[in-house]
Amino acid sequence: MKNEKNILKWLDNELSNDEIKDLKRSEDFTIIEKIAHYSSQMEAPKVNAEDALAAFRSKHASKTKVIPFNFKSLYKYAALLVIMLCVTYFSFFNNETSFNTTIAQTETITLPDNSQVILNAVSSLDYNKKEWETDRNLNLDGEAFFKVSKGEKFTVNTDAGIVQVLGTQFNIKERENYFEVQCYEGLVAVTFNNETIKLPKGKSFRVINGEVQLVEDIDGLNPTWLQHEASFAKAPLTHVIEELENHYNIKITTQGIDTKVLFTGTFTYNNKDIALQTVTTPLKISYKAKGNTITFYKYEK
Amino acid sequence: MNNDKKLCNEASFNNFYLEHIQYASNFAFYKCGDKDNALDLVQDAFSKIWENCSKIDFSKAKTYLFTTVNNLFLNKIKHQKVVMEYAKAAPYVDINNESPQYLLEEEEFKKKLQNAISLLTDKQREVFLLNRIEGKKYREIAEMLDISQKAVEKRMSIALSILREHIENI
Repeated sequence: MKNEKNILKWLDNELSNDEIKDLKRSEDFTIIEKIAHYSSQMEAPKVNAEDALAAFRSKHASKTKVIPFNFKSLYKYAALLVIMLCVTYFSFFNNETSFNTTIAQTETITLPDNSQVILNAVSSLDYNKKEWETDRNLNLDGEAFFKVSKGEKFTVNTDAGIVQVLGTQFNIKERENYFEVQCYEGLVAVTFNNETIKLPKGKSFRVINGEVQLVEDIDGLNPTWLQHEASFAKAPLTHVIEELENHYNIKITTQGIDTKVLFTGTFTYNNKDIALQTVTTPLKISYKAKGNTITFYKYEK
Repeated sequence: MNNDKKLCNEASFNNFYLEHIQYASNFAFYKCGDKDNALDLVQDAFSKIWENCSKIDFSKAKTYLFTTVNNLFLNKIKHQKVVMEYAKAAPYVDINNESPQYLLEEEEFKKKLQNAISLLTDKQREVFLLNRIEGKKYREIAEMLDISQKAVEKRMSIALSILREHIENI
């Protein structure tokens, strides 16, 4: 189309009178003029604005707009609430306190009433902080020495039995198939298989494989393990091996040895080789090491 | 800040409504060619503005209105032939010429134009008619439709050449 720019400008009312005259002289302008003229005479149906508004308002009847309830945000707040409740619960109501030791580790714990617990290796202890004042109740798995301050009944629960005292010092050892309580001061009540035995100072109580055994009186004020030494009085070799494994990161296997043989003596926590020697020599056993695996075998000469 | 609240105020919304209802329904009519459909489209578009009054800036409300009509049209209305009617009192180009032949020729031309306009696409027709019927400047149309002025001019030019082509060929 010729003069396209000017025609567009003319339709947009942007053309000066002189330019319009020029445009009118161009040959095919008549038809453009007609199109422009008649198209501007067209009209769209009239709308009665007031009626339309009334119809619109009747659809949106009240002034109060309905804001759709947003369930998504509800979920958000619900989740937040749940999280806050959990956090509150765990920080204020969960008073379960627990301690764990691993191989060759001991830990000294002071309880809220200033009673002391020394936890030997591979043992765990937990108690409820909140209930402690009214009920001195502990759960023990493993070995620990207790120095109990005077006060209400002090109860130690183990899988093997329950030990109750008033104020005293005692050692509990609860290992696989082995349960031993040694009283160093005061009086200890041990409940085993619904039977309560009272242990005075210097006595100890031992259960191996479910059988109560008579044990010689203990001497000393503390269990030897507090001086980094494990001591055994007529303890089966299996138990001694288990204790060795608890204190040194080793795995002990046996070859042709009666593991029920009884061992009386001590081994140190500080030196693996000396410990192994002090256990094996009196029993006439040899051992060989391969990495972390120690094999006990019969001493032959 | 006043602007934000303006649309949510019923009185000022009503003013906005009355001010734009005719133009908006014209615009919808250029697109769909059906009076009732056009009004429905526009009412729906106003509903959207009322529902979202707090989110729409008052200065953008007009553009929003036309854009919404446009979108609703694309979503809902099936394309149909748009036949524009002439106003009743419509003078011919040469008002002094009353010869029967001239009048006949012009009537014929008007029919051809009517027909040709119905052949334009929605986009060409809306731009062309907004300019011709409502005398809107290209700049205003661009603002209404949220497109560039260049795009308006382009549509205008294409619309013109299509109209010419059809009128001359018939």
